[in-house]
Amino acid sequence: MSSILKKTYEWIDKRVQLETLVEFMGKKYVPVHRHSIWYYFGGVSLFLFIIQVVTGILLLLYYKGSEQLAFESIQFIMSKVQFGWLIRSIHSWAANLFILSAFIHMFSVFFERSYREPREITWITGMFMLFLGMGFGFSGYLLPWNELAFFATKVGTDIAGVLPFVGKPIMVFLRGGDEVTGATLSRFFGFHVAVLPGIFTVLLSIHLVLVQRQGMSEPMGMENVPASERKTMPFFPNFLLRDLLFWLIVLNVLAILAVFFPWELGKKADAFASAPAGIRPEWYFMFMFQTLKFIPAKVLFIDGEVLGVLLFGAAGLLWMIVPFWDRKSSRGEKSRLINYVGLFVVVYIIIFTTLGYVL
Amino acid sequence: MKGRTWQAIVALVVICSLTSTPFGVAADQCRTCHEALGDKPSTLFKRDIHSQKGVSCADCHGGVASAEDMERAMDKSKGFIGVPKGDAVSEVCAKCHGDAKRMAQFRSMIPIGQFKALQASVHGRLSTTGKERIVQCTTCHNAHGIVQVADPASPVYPLNVVKTCTKCHADAAFMQKYNPSLSVDQLEKYRTSVHGMRNAKGDPKTAECASCHGSHEILPSADVRSRVYPTNLPGTCAHCHADASYMKTYGIPTDQFEKFSKSVHGVALLEKHDLGAPACNKCHGNHGATPPGVESISKVCGSCHALNADLFSSSPHKKAFDERKLPECETCHGKHEIIAATDKLLGNSQEAVCSRCHSERERAKGYQVAGTMRSLIDSLELLERKAQLLVSDAEQKGMEISEARFKLRDVRQARLEARTKVHSFNEGQFREVVAKGFATALVVGEEGQQAIDEYYFRRLGLGVATLIITIVAISLYMFIRRIERSAVHKQTSI
Repeated sequence: MSSILKKTYEWIDKRVQLETLVEFMGKKYVPVHRHSIWYYFGGVSLFLFIIQVVTGILLLLYYKGSEQLAFESIQFIMSKVQFGWLIRSIHSWAANLFILSAFIHMFSVFFERSYREPREITWITGMFMLFLGMGFGFSGYLLPWNELAFFATKVGTDIAGVLPFVGKPIMVFLRGGDEVTGATLSRFFGFHVAVLPGIFTVLLSIHLVLVQRQGMSEPMGMENVPASERKTMPFFPNFLLRDLLFWLIVLNVLAILAVFFPWELGKKADAFASAPAGIRPEWYFMFMFQTLKFIPAKVLFIDGEVLGVLLFGAAGLLWMIVPFWDRKSSRGEKSRLINYVGLFVVVYIIIFTTLGYVL
Repeated sequence: MKGRTWQAIVALVVICSLTSTPFGVAADQCRTCHEALGDKPSTLFKRDIHSQKGVSCADCHGGVASAEDMERAMDKSKGFIGVPKGDAVSEVCAKCHGDAKRMAQFRSMIPIGQFKALQASVHGRLSTTGKERIVQCTTCHNAHGIVQVADPASPVYPLNVVKTCTKCHADAAFMQKYNPSLSVDQLEKYRTSVHGMRNAKGDPKTAECASCHGSHEILPSADVRSRVYPTNLPGTCAHCHADASYMKTYGIPTDQFEKFSKSVHGVALLEKHDLGAPACNKCHGNHGATPPGVESISKVCGSCHALNADLFSSSPHKKAFDERKLPECETCHGKHEIIAATDKLLGNSQEAVCSRCHSERERAKGYQVAGTMRSLIDSLELLERKAQLLVSDAEQKGMEISEARFKLRDVRQARLEARTKVHSFNEGQFREVVAKGFATALVVGEEGQQAIDEYYFRRLGLGVATLIITIVAISLYMFIRRIERSAVHKQTSI
């Protein structure tokens, strides 16, 4: 048995020089410090993304992306397909856990200033992936074609439509017309299974290659610690096994959530029905949605909603280009402003998300 | 022709000058001249209520009533309007009849809103000329010779109203201009009704057109404000039929409205405003209102409950009921007080209506069939309830079971169909329908049970999967600890 494995390894090695990779992996070390725990959330996000891809492909075997059949096909998956209920439930739960894990990963990178030179591209690709992840969530939410998703998409695309000049064309492009219809479902399906995954894969590849090339970022001030006092662990197998351990824990949590809290299907969307009470976006859009509700209809001469969307756009952009304006961190100096900004954003998101559910 | 007109004018001038007082002042010169001429309006006006109340010709036609000189009397500059035309007719009447103060001067109790009500009514719409309203006051009340409504000579006296209304409403050519879909045979039908027959015999208390439709305020029957709109009609009929003292002379019950209000039809119509539910006219007819005869009850009920009626007509009960002169549907379901039919009506228990005629000794076959039918429908209901419970339980457990929930409708449908089939009084036909329900209920129950089993299987599966994952995770943890310890051991030994 072992001789077959050895022969196979040698066969591949001869062609793709595996030895170099193994050598690279063997020499790769991960810093060990009191913040090491945050390193694992990148891996957890990756794991959840893989689950999404696998379960997504399985759902694709039965899902039908049309106005007439979408709801019924999910119903079929939930009731007739062997373990279809589990796959759909895991897909829905993993999507939410993915966003949560990506948020934690993003904030840990932010507070650790891991975005600083030379990891600006890693940060930017990561931010783009987070936005894409939210795009996945937004487009996937409509696919079951149920009442809540239908109206939430209506509200969501309405918000996009308030942007000056480009808003209306964006809204029409997203909806495939002036209203949310079967055309919207078809293109959301296309975005969800083809466009977004394609872009995401490219970004993920760049992100992972950079992580491997540059290694894990060390917390600020570590460079002042003498080399003899710095703790590390081999990437292979120690870190990878720990990563695996985390993945197993996440898998367990996911299984429990999927079985105990199966994702509901609700009522089929009806464009002529009145909007149901309590239309809410997914939780990760809630803080923005709630803010828009609080902004007065008119602020000076600007429409309140337009102002809100523009402010969030500007804040998102500033956040994404933080490696370029936070020069202090790149120089290795401590910047309190970053801590304050980060804390403000975290507290803001928590408070407004809570308000969104309480009010 | 010209010569004759001149002769008439000369005669009128002569008569006026002869009949004038030496002082040249007369009480009503218009009447003096016109009565002397003997024309129809002045003759009729003598017995007109308005004449008796002191209303002069000039009050309606304008001019100067006291003037001896004809030209002065009919001077347009003094307000003389001659014979009013079109809407001006009703406006002349409304000058007094729409003015509370003037009417008080005559000590009249007549409501002052008639003119406005007429304008808002269906008759107040514009006529085909587009210049005037369809109906003016004089259309029904005449112009001269108007008497009180209670006077048998009045065209709107209860015994005359029908004739007055049908002047237009029985004229197909006229009605076609305004409402071609409205029938013009109301009078004919009315004369076949109890109301019409009594009215023809001279009973002014029985209902005529205005009793149900109103007088000045008549609205199309499709108007929700109309007295004959389905939801208002029972109240309109009850106005007389629920009045014990008014109906005393007729010797018929006065509790129909009370019973109807509580009945399944009454609740649907009056409380739920379900216009599909019958009002009084659906069973008794409109203008030809009469109680349906014993032999025609199933036809009347069958106009809505068609299947039940058909089944009944071809059942053995039809002959038996006819022979005993039993009113068909009414015998089991009642009439005005019909309550929602439940399965309790069926069977051979004491509360079942079947047991009124069938017993173990008398007509025993029916007794037996009724008992079987009841037990079958009870079993179906029980099965349906059981399946429903299983489906609800599975739903509560978060299982997707909408298909079974949908099939439950078929079970309910079979039960409803079985209830209809009761009217065939044929056990074979009844069993066939019930069997369909049984089969579906069993399938639904099975699917519900399967979903519940699946729920527990999922939990068990989760338990096993979680256990395996946890064991793998712990093993992995131990393995990591081991390799890390051995690495530290190697480092220290170096």
